Amino acid sequence: MDSALAVVGTSIPRRGLAEKIQGKAQYTADLKRPGMLYGRILRSPHAHARLQAIDISEALRMPGVHAVLTYRDVPAVRIDADLLPLDEVLRFVGDEVAVIAAESDVLAEDALRLIHVQYEVLPAVFDVEAALRPDAPPVHPQGNLVGGKELVVERGSVIQGLSAAEHVFEGTFHTQIHAPVGMETRAALAEWQDDAVTVWKTSRAVHANDRQTLARVLGIPLAQVRVICTTMGGGFGNKDESRLSVLAALLARQAGRPVRLEYSRAEEFIAGRNRQSSLTHLRLGVRQDGTPTAIAMRSVMNAGAHVASGMQVTRRTGQGAMYLYTCPNARFAGLTVYTHRPAGGSFRGLGAPLGHFALEVLIDQAAVALGIDPLDYRLQHHVTEAGQPGQRTTPAGQLTPDEPVEGGIPFSSNALRECILAGAERIGWRQQHRPHAIATGPVRRGMGMALGIYKGGTGREAEAEVRITPTGRVQVAIGNVDVGQGSSTLLAQMAAEALEVPVHSIDMVMADTAITPPAHITAGSSTTITSGAAVKLAAEDAKRHLLERAATLLHVPTVRLEAGQLVSIAEPSRRLDLAAAVAGLPGDIVGTAQVTSGSTTHLVNAFAAHFAEVEVDMQSGRIRVLRYVAAQDSGRILHPRMAENQVSGGVLQFLAIALREELYVDPRSGVTLNPSLLEHKCTSIVDFPPIEVLFPAPPDPCGPYGAKALGEPPVVPVLAVIANAVANATGVWLYEAPFTPRRVLEAIHAQGR
Amino acid sequence: MPYRASISITVNGQPHRLEIDHRTTLLDVLREHLDLTGAKRACDRGECGACTVLLAGQPVYACQLLALQVRGRPVVTIEGLAEQPDFRPVLDAFVANDAGQCGFCTPGFAVATYAALQSHPGASATELRWELVGHLCRCNAYDNIMAAVQDASQRRLGTTAPHTERG
Repeated sequence: MDSALAVVGTSIPRRGLAEKIQGKAQYTADLKRPGMLYGRILRSPHAHARLQAIDISEALRMPGVHAVLTYRDVPAVRIDADLLPLDEVLRFVGDEVAVIAAESDVLAEDALRLIHVQYEVLPAVFDVEAALRPDAPPVHPQGNLVGGKELVVERGSVIQGLSAAEHVFEGTFHTQIHAPVGMETRAALAEWQDDAVTVWKTSRAVHANDRQTLARVLGIPLAQVRVICTTMGGGFGNKDESRLSVLAALLARQAGRPVRLEYSRAEEFIAGRNRQSSLTHLRLGVRQDGTPTAIAMRSVMNAGAHVASGMQVTRRTGQGAMYLYTCPNARFAGLTVYTHRPAGGSFRGLGAPLGHFALEVLIDQAAVALGIDPLDYRLQHHVTEAGQPGQRTTPAGQLTPDEPVEGGIPFSSNALRECILAGAERIGWRQQHRPHAIATGPVRRGMGMALGIYKGGTGREAEAEVRITPTGRVQVAIGNVDVGQGSSTLLAQMAAEALEVPVHSIDMVMADTAITPPAHITAGSSTTITSGAAVKLAAEDAKRHLLERAATLLHVPTVRLEAGQLVSIAEPSRRLDLAAAVAGLPGDIVGTAQVTSGSTTHLVNAFAAHFAEVEVDMQSGRIRVLRYVAAQDSGRILHPRMAENQVSGGVLQFLAIALREELYVDPRSGVTLNPSLLEHKCTSIVDFPPIEVLFPAPPDPCGPYGAKALGEPPVVPVLAVIANAVANATGVWLYEAPFTPRRVLEAIHAQGR
Repeated sequence: MPYRASISITVNGQPHRLEIDHRTTLLDVLREHLDLTGAKRACDRGECGACTVLLAGQPVYACQLLALQVRGRPVVTIEGLAEQPDFRPVLDAFVANDAGQCGFCTPGFAVATYAALQSHPGASATELRWELVGHLCRCNAYDNIMAAVQDASQRRLGTTAPHTERG
């Protein structure tokens, strides 16, 4: 830790944790308003259908029912380009048909059965290959290829790079639908007062998404819409869509009473947004000594019925292929395809874990084939601080991209080497890693590793407001939400550090559009870097105003802050307590800042090197994780205990995704078959060993207090680490995740082990 | 038409008389009728532990009981435990070990930890781990939760230096 820093870098208690433990923290579904009704959603039993007739009269007549809405009763204003509040056409099993508000949850449930619907069932398509055929039933009128074309980024020429290669390694990799499964299900509570609406919602984007969308769809000015997220029960890249806010607001307007609409767990699985399944083809060209000459990746993603943030998921699949290894020629092509499966969306890491799975397995295959230790291969060829070869194409003076393509731009910092060495040392690679597939017997032990590169958290806009109040307390307002990762604690630490006041004098105000400045969506592991930069600057601005005021009060030219006192620089005996300096002020001392974070000269990315030791039972196909080491380069760690918690949590979350989690959608009916926590089994407390977390990286010169992104980077290498450890143990390469016993056994038999 | 039922229920020492739909679960009574929202609804079918409360001292999933089944047995929720001095070691240990992130599952873990330490004082780390197997945390703060549970066990027994599995 830097001795010059007082609060940043220390593990103070997480803000709000004591309240959460005692059940005092208020999440959206814990809120109640006078006269509040309970909302429920009628969902489509068909994957593709048109409403021929819908009769709501019986439901409306039921005592206790106050509103029923169908597509005929809601504005035909699009929420997203491919999404209406309610539609005459249903596009997946579980799509919203009608909504209802009643005196209680059970009454609303009863009333759903009194809505009589006649569906005209239409042909549906569930897999991407079928969806791309010219005669496929269109999910939306604009065609099944989202955006009408492939997304392509390229550096150099992979055609030339592949012809220069002495060996080409090739593979096709599959991943299935990944459900984020926040423990808190989605909920929205809407209340109207005259022509203004307040919506409390589980939301990562109260400003950027919900408020904007509500104003547009409801046809009221922005000033009449307030959106609040009180406490968030897990985000994981999810809970960013606005349909739920809109439906709650429309129901409340129709009923003339507040309405709370809450997803059940099954609805969360089916109608929440899950990361799209992927099929990735990768070609890796190398010279005899292993030097990469070309990396070419092409991914096809099944986005389901609505694309939401699916295009970003697709794009992020390519970040590893484009940038993790020094290579003049790299190309990523991505296709995002509509089908009649439940809507896709973003989940922690977006496409990066999927793309890294393919890339890092082929890197191991190349190393094994060329007789090079995979650790040495990576030490030799990982991208260095110099970045990629080539010419910068981003105009000078413009911020560098967070998902880089071009060469010729160095990194602000890149501690991949330190992470590889520290992780290898911790797991004992040099002593215990054995050559590929020499283990024998019914249970085989092996060790694997993989690297990760991820966005560094820059590239977004943020505003912050810091108020020193006459009571001496400091209020920090920021429009983002603490999704559970602990940003309220980190931002308070940064404000306290910049203002040189005790951190307990800071009050955080977050995610309320009426009292916080506008904010981007809380996404892309950006809060610490981007919102943090804004908070730091706003605190510095407030401090300037405070020092000016103290100088006036003390009748001296300049003043500095020292241990909570304002001290004259020329005459240190003239001093003033902070409380005395602000007491009697007519208003607050206000500092503000508006930033777009990033660098014009350097790339800002986060890195990781992960290692695992596993045992594979050759008879049952079961994989047991014995040890897992995660070394992260996220610059300076601002709160070691929370950071360790976030990294070990991310790895544990993705170990179950690597080994067993999969949301099954029936390929004939489109029905989601396992929408429950019993049938979709997440990591429990007895599944894996404790995760060993290392932070060997130095502070980054670009981020506030030297920080880089941390939320998503720890999940990026996990699938690949396990696949490589299994291959080391057994000689069997895994191409399809999750690595369930059945898939492992099939691979063992197919590959003749 | 729904059937109505009248029930008497004692929660956190307070007796209540309520008129409810007979299908109402204990969890719904707590959350919607008594405004005790510390027990969370995350699955509503006994798969996650977020709604755990004590029924006659034993941890139960409140979503898995109809309110009618409670039949006079006292219910204690996390709000009630938070008022009890003997819950303090659990609270302090969970805060000190950062045993949560988003916090949604945390009250359930805290109730289960309290109950496990009451019924098995001096239990080993492994025994305590298996006591919590019915609880899901999607932030996967499990390593910190285990450290907190062992710390709470030590605090409760009055020994100072907490020894954790994590080492």
